[in-house]
Amino acid sequence: MGWIEKKLKYLLVAPALTIVTALAAFPLLQSLIGSLFVWRLNRAPGPTKFIGLAHYERALTDPLFWNSAMVTGLFTLSSVILTTALSLSFAMALSVPGRSTRLMRVLLILPFAMSPALIGMSFRYMFNADFGVVPALLGLVWEPLGHVDWLADPAAALVVVILCDAWGWFPFMTMMIMGGLRTVPREAQEAARVDGATPWQVFRDVTLPCLKPVLLVAMVLKTIFCLKMFDQVFLLTNGGPSHATQTLSHYIYTQSMRFYDLGYGSALSWLLVLPMAALVFFYTRQILLQSSARQRDAR
Amino acid sequence: MATLTHPHPVAKRLQATPLLRGLFLSFMAFAILLPVIWIASGAFKQLVDIFQLRILFTPTLDNFAAIADPPFLAYQKMANSLIVALWAVVITIPLALLAAYSLSRYRLPGERLILFALLSTQFLPSVVVVLPFFLLFRDLGLLDTKTALVAIKVAMMMPFAVWMLKGFVDGIPIEIEESARVDGAASLRIIRDMVVPLSMPGVITTAIFCFIMAWNEFLFALILTSREAVTLPIALSMLTTDEGDFWHLLSAAGLLVMLPMIGLALLIQKHFTGGSTAGSSR
Repeated sequence: MGWIEKKLKYLLVAPALTIVTALAAFPLLQSLIGSLFVWRLNRAPGPTKFIGLAHYERALTDPLFWNSAMVTGLFTLSSVILTTALSLSFAMALSVPGRSTRLMRVLLILPFAMSPALIGMSFRYMFNADFGVVPALLGLVWEPLGHVDWLADPAAALVVVILCDAWGWFPFMTMMIMGGLRTVPREAQEAARVDGATPWQVFRDVTLPCLKPVLLVAMVLKTIFCLKMFDQVFLLTNGGPSHATQTLSHYIYTQSMRFYDLGYGSALSWLLVLPMAALVFFYTRQILLQSSARQRDAR
Repeated sequence: MATLTHPHPVAKRLQATPLLRGLFLSFMAFAILLPVIWIASGAFKQLVDIFQLRILFTPTLDNFAAIADPPFLAYQKMANSLIVALWAVVITIPLALLAAYSLSRYRLPGERLILFALLSTQFLPSVVVVLPFFLLFRDLGLLDTKTALVAIKVAMMMPFAVWMLKGFVDGIPIEIEESARVDGAASLRIIRDMVVPLSMPGVITTAIFCFIMAWNEFLFALILTSREAVTLPIALSMLTTDEGDFWHLLSAAGLLVMLPMIGLALLIQKHFTGGSTAGSSR
């Protein structure tokens, strides 16, 4: 065997791994260092003065930082719950064979194919107070609902952002849950039914516990993506009205790219990355455990 | 598919109440289709049709002509999107396939750590990633070039592509390779002559996934481009002016963004299931 043959397994992964490491390590290091300096892009191209943790202290007393953290938290919590509930019921409804099920599975692809930015834009268009189709339809149901200016009211705007995010994500989650439903042992469900359990009891006591791993992974994944949400908010509300929908990602963008305060933006980045790291750790561990279990089963 | 032949009891109950299920499914279908149809129809409306919320209108192709002109230049942006996404896929897939093969077939020291790292990089917030790259590309004089966009999109898609291709390579029976190895074929030749052809369906699927990701990507393009290399999704943020939003033009641009991707997604429809896309980035 030649040298290449012996080292082949390393040579094969090396390019991909180098690229990925560069993508992850370089920005993280750069922003960690940058967060410790005064770094105003509109005054100097690089960091100027070392100030230690002053940017982090500033964040702790910055009402807009706390606002964006609150918005992100509230948005994440609502969106994860809404998306999960919607996906679970949808997956259940689609577990019946038939033409409508096949058709719906095709429809589920549409939100996948749409750019998150486009989804955000389309919701701004549909919820427009003067000629939006959604207020018009809601007005048909109950007249006063037609007069709500969804994007001008702080609470309503956040609701629209949540709806927009759920729309883009529930198909993906529905498919994950449908995959999970396939692993629920039919015997256990039948046995419970023979014992006189109602369909709801079967669902609660047999199906739901079996789905737990899939649901957990799906919800953690959704949480991670909620925490870093940017595209939709940028084109839907641009953080407004008056910061009511400004997520942490959007605030980082505002500080760094609009105010050119890269030092502060970097510190904020780390305040976003650190809590996410814990979730990512949990999620990836779970996925790796599942995939090695699958490999064991296959052998 | 087990669930289809053995419906869940709750599903059976739902089946027994077709009206309820029908209502629920119709509502969901309506909710899924509404944004898509609203954009698609808006693309053929005149601005006055949009302001008057007309369902019935005389379709016009004027919007598609209007977005061709400066300052919008939508077709130039569309060409940028196409070139950047194609290059990114062409660079990503071969490198990812080699890595996936190695991770699938060999025992590597720290293999779990590598897989772990690959998955976790997917979750870095784009806004955190892009700022240092903005400065790097500024110093290299690569701001507003397609090269910079291709580079960052390759890096963004690589973990996903490796992870997905590994799933496909895992599914190729190893016996085929072993018999070739006994015949004395070198590993690189085995990869070229056996693994690549056998994993072609997986390669095509992964490539389409990556293409959609690269095409739809927004934040990198927003920050790294300004004039020459602007991609199509960015046009969506440019059609808003002080006089208001040009919703008819926005819709036309939106249709150009989504239509090709819907077509591609339908091609690989059967692969849109849970596991294989668990690491997908949006």
